Amino acid sequence: MAKVVDARGLACPQPVILTRKALAETEDVITIVDNETARANVTHLAEKAGATVTVEQRADGTYLHIVKGEAEAAGKPITLPTAGGPLVLAVPSHIMGRGDEELGGILIRGFFHTLGEVEPLPQTIIFFNSGVKLVVEDSPVLEDLQALATRGIEILACGTCLGHYGLTEKVAVGKVSNMYTIAETMLRAGKVVSL
Amino acid sequence: MSYGVVLVPSTSHAIRAEQVCHRAGLKVKLIPTPRQLSSNCGTALRFAWPEREAMEKALCENKVDYEGVHLVDW
Repeated sequence: MAKVVDARGLACPQPVILTRKALAETEDVITIVDNETARANVTHLAEKAGATVTVEQRADGTYLHIVKGEAEAAGKPITLPTAGGPLVLAVPSHIMGRGDEELGGILIRGFFHTLGEVEPLPQTIIFFNSGVKLVVEDSPVLEDLQALATRGIEILACGTCLGHYGLTEKVAVGKVSNMYTIAETMLRAGKVVSL
Repeated sequence: MSYGVVLVPSTSHAIRAEQVCHRAGLKVKLIPTPRQLSSNCGTALRFAWPEREAMEKALCENKVDYEGVHLVDW
């Protein structure tokens, strides 16, 4: 019998916290959510924990059926970080460095252009605070970020920050994320480079 | 893939040059100066090589100084 977590109407990151709690108690959880961000975050959490997620869209919400332990059997092992851990790039601002705003804008554009030409590349790039302005529709570095995403680099944008700047509906590249994933990604990194 | 690269004397020239090119309907990208063109830390403009003439014309007409145009392989 699955444990049911009704996360409808709950704000981020409550759906993730409640699902995590339920998964610690039982193997089989159904989380009901009512928005896309919650769906993506809960699914991400479950997959990271090695669980299988089946999505069922019903009139009264999205039902996420989460079963622990099946992912491995299905030949989809959990990816563990390598010995040193992955390289993670943190982008806390829409400009590079402190000082002149216009210069900072030029520098950040130059930086993401150059990132397409140098190595090693980060496994994940995390955008937070005004950094999230770089992942939306009219971002000056959108093309560069899309090219990096195509090469398999994970792009995470802080959902709280997008909401704060009123940009949630304008995300054009990467995934909307929460502080749990952001904190875990940073702490599991072999190295975090912060702009 | 080859692109044209225009070197400019300063970052404020780069910003001006970008505005002028956008107004002229030319697609340009602000980039750090490629290593092979100059070891100085500078900002340059990348553009599609076939648009070279239109670009130089736009810069000249709007009195934006530039230091040279290069063809660069990417």
